[in-house]
Amino acid sequence: MKAPQQIPRNALVWIILALFTLVLPHLARVPTWVLAVYLLAATWRVMVYRGSWSFPRWPIKLALIASAFVGILLSYTSLIGLEPMVALLLAAFAFKLLELAERKDAYVLLFLGYFVILTEFLFSQDLLIVLLCLLNVVLVTTALVALHRPGDDRFNARPARKATAMVLQALPLMLVLFFLFPRIGPLWTVPLKSQQAKTGMSEFMSPGDVSRLSRSGEVAFRVKFEGEIPPQSQLYWRGLVMSRLRQNTWSALNYYEVPATERRPAPVLSGEPLSYSVIMEPTQQRWLYSLRYASSPDAGILGASDYRLFRPLPIEDDFLYQVRSWPEAKLDPALSAWRRRAELALPAEANPRARALAGSIAADAANPRQIVARVLALFNEQPFVYTLEPPLLPIDNPMDAFLFETRRGFCEHYASAFVIMMRAAGVPARVVAGYQGGEVNPVNRTVIVHQFDAHAWAEVWLEGEGWIRVDPTSAVAPERIERGLEQAIAEEGTFLADSPLSPLRYRSINLVNQLRLRYDALTYRWQSWVVGFNAETQFELLQRWFGGVDARKFALFILGSFALVLVPVALSLLLRRRTNALSKLDRLYLQFCARLARMGVTREPGESPAAYARRAQRSVPRLADRIDAITGDYQRLAYAGEAQDKAALARFARAVREVG
Amino acid sequence: MRSRFRNWVDRRIPPARMVTLDQRRIFIFPSRVGLFFGLCLLVMLLAAINFQNNLSYGLTFLLFTLFVVAILHTYANMSGLTIRAVHARPAFPGQQAEFALQLERSRRKEHIAIRLGWPGGVEVTANLAECDSLRQQLYLPVGQQRGWYSPGRLRMESSYPLGLLRCWSWVDLELYALVYPRPLASAELPGLAAESPDGAAVPIEGSDDFYGFRNYREGDSLRQIYWKGLARGQNLQVKQYAAYADRSVWLDWELFPGLPTEQRLSHLCYWALAFDAQGDEYGLRLPGVTIAPDCGELHRERVLRALALHGLEDPGL
Repeated sequence: MKAPQQIPRNALVWIILALFTLVLPHLARVPTWVLAVYLLAATWRVMVYRGSWSFPRWPIKLALIASAFVGILLSYTSLIGLEPMVALLLAAFAFKLLELAERKDAYVLLFLGYFVILTEFLFSQDLLIVLLCLLNVVLVTTALVALHRPGDDRFNARPARKATAMVLQALPLMLVLFFLFPRIGPLWTVPLKSQQAKTGMSEFMSPGDVSRLSRSGEVAFRVKFEGEIPPQSQLYWRGLVMSRLRQNTWSALNYYEVPATERRPAPVLSGEPLSYSVIMEPTQQRWLYSLRYASSPDAGILGASDYRLFRPLPIEDDFLYQVRSWPEAKLDPALSAWRRRAELALPAEANPRARALAGSIAADAANPRQIVARVLALFNEQPFVYTLEPPLLPIDNPMDAFLFETRRGFCEHYASAFVIMMRAAGVPARVVAGYQGGEVNPVNRTVIVHQFDAHAWAEVWLEGEGWIRVDPTSAVAPERIERGLEQAIAEEGTFLADSPLSPLRYRSINLVNQLRLRYDALTYRWQSWVVGFNAETQFELLQRWFGGVDARKFALFILGSFALVLVPVALSLLLRRRTNALSKLDRLYLQFCARLARMGVTREPGESPAAYARRAQRSVPRLADRIDAITGDYQRLAYAGEAQDKAALARFARAVREVG
Repeated sequence: MRSRFRNWVDRRIPPARMVTLDQRRIFIFPSRVGLFFGLCLLVMLLAAINFQNNLSYGLTFLLFTLFVVAILHTYANMSGLTIRAVHARPAFPGQQAEFALQLERSRRKEHIAIRLGWPGGVEVTANLAECDSLRQQLYLPVGQQRGWYSPGRLRMESSYPLGLLRCWSWVDLELYALVYPRPLASAELPGLAAESPDGAAVPIEGSDDFYGFRNYREGDSLRQIYWKGLARGQNLQVKQYAAYADRSVWLDWELFPGLPTEQRLSHLCYWALAFDAQGDEYGLRLPGVTIAPDCGELHRERVLRALALHGLEDPGL
């Protein structure tokens, strides 16, 4: 007859504990009311335990579930998508607590808990988050162990010890499977997309966009060069090439707007390439960052006609890719008619003063190179100011206002004004958006590029040279290019003004900076080994380990490594020695019993020494006196507190040895 | 099929009064919860593949290997456990007999949440965590048949620590409970007067008159113990009543001629209990067995045992 299994009190405490640590990493993502649901559910369940309240009846449960659905609809406007699904899962997780009466309910709850951990990884794969999730796995497992220890009525940590030991034993096996399990592509397209906001550069650029981005201390991507790191002034990370100006906003040409014959970049292969790998933080966008003239050996990364890299799928997770760049290569030595038209197009009416100025400069200049030099000289000689807080520009003719009135701007103002003037002067030009510079981490020699390194500059096309880079900002604030944003706006004091807690602000404190750089190096290693692990890296790894993918070696390795871990675990579990060993006296007495047993008198379990002695005396009469003496000594030593007496113990040992 | 399975189990785990669980005697298989867990892992693996998320792969593999490690832990929780038959108390047909078992551990290892039970009986759960041995009582209805009742194989089961695997064993502890004949009233005891040698069947006036003390002998009724004396520090003594000595009755097989065996035994059983309740002395005469008149619990048990085992083989327990 099987009674329903109850939930021990200890398990209930661990379950509620796990419930709250599980929601912890999700906190920033879910609406606040989900936390209120958690508190309500936990309080209710504790009240049920104390007998004050009863389990909710079905109308109340139904009302709770319905209100959760309504709440999610109100918070997210839709039920489809990753975030609403996670919020729903978390709410269901809390409500299940209100049904937690028997052990089988707890199973559902705890397995749901493992799912909640999994969903966290779909949003963040940060090292600290992963450690927190590992702790959550241990906690859920602890609750599972506590569930199987009947009669544990007090909160105790014994199940936690067991669960920790088990998870630690499972970890090495997990690593084997992680590196060897074949990675295959998605089985079907995932209908649940994250609603996470796009971060970093946007695909449209109007004055003020880049300066907004430059307030953030987040990491945009990390780069590891195979050889020397090029100087700061050469690190122009091209992301978007913007050739179209419409309503004061720059944007890139669409793939399908480019004629079919010009969609692929012309191969420009001369000289030694610069090899490096990039790990990008998720942007939910499609373009990648690279130095100029880039190509990638990775599958699934394409090159656009304006010599930048992109990926057909948005970057939703940390993304690792390899790049080779030829910084000296000429881009488009000959410009097609279509391309020339596209790179000279200007809205007809906008910014008349700027265009007039450009026209007069062009009339004086002998060649396009002189036009470029004169416009840059204009920025340099007139009182232009480089600032993170430029004044707002009017919607009509903003560049006229910038060039002739405010004269305060960030890189996108200078780039935009420069390109407009170039185009007005008849020189093909375009805006390039991306990042400039980066911080070299001395710990592992990676270049960390932050959001505040966001930058915009220009490219102009010159006969015989192709596209060359011109950075108007360097004419106004050369220190921005040489030493980065922080130095360039040091007087203004606006660097990371909105993030008072960013460790980047405390770079001057040596210890903080050291910790930050070490953690960043760890993050890089983590991202390149775990997060960036894919079918290709797996194939390379297998090549290196086994010299090829061979099913037999594969199976042998898995079996071997499992045995290597499981055999010691099994031995430690099954051959565990007595933890509180017998005293020397007891050992001697058992020796004595063993000697008598050889003569045919085995001591029965639970038989007292006196009773055993009587029985032994009857069957081995010749030793009757000795048996009596030894038993007497034993009892005296054991119960009269004389066991500490070394001499007496030695006498006893001698007496035992003489039996036989 | 069933008997073939039973033969196989008998060969594998031969009946014994004491069984230590080891790899021959322990079976292990995923429990229903474990299968459900496997299903969950499959869904998680699908999520990992479809989202191309390495850490989801990692979590799925961690939980899978946790399951693998749990096999060892679940097995280790059972192995090394010794179970010993202690006793089985006699019972009347249809009643619950008490079976006492002792659980012992060989090494100082914990054995948690061991469920013990016979099919059809109430299950008990035992923890062997702080102590080295544990006495456990189980109750089981014994059926209608008098004689030795065998409860069959005892199921020992545990799914500690994760509940994903079920580890079990079937042990036969050679534990038999004695089932007495069902007491069956008859209107009167025929030929009672003729049988009594001294004609003392007529009750003496004031039959519970106090007569004196004598030293306690094993089997004396607890009701007759002179507790006050014991409290004063005297020896354990029993109060004696005058009426006892004068009455002695023979319960004879031949008192119920013509009746079938079981009915005769049932009537004899009834009368034995009746006399015992009154505190009278009574003896038993069965073909091949004679028990001289006496009284007390020990005597009653001897008589009932003789009645229960009449015509049956005594396996010597």
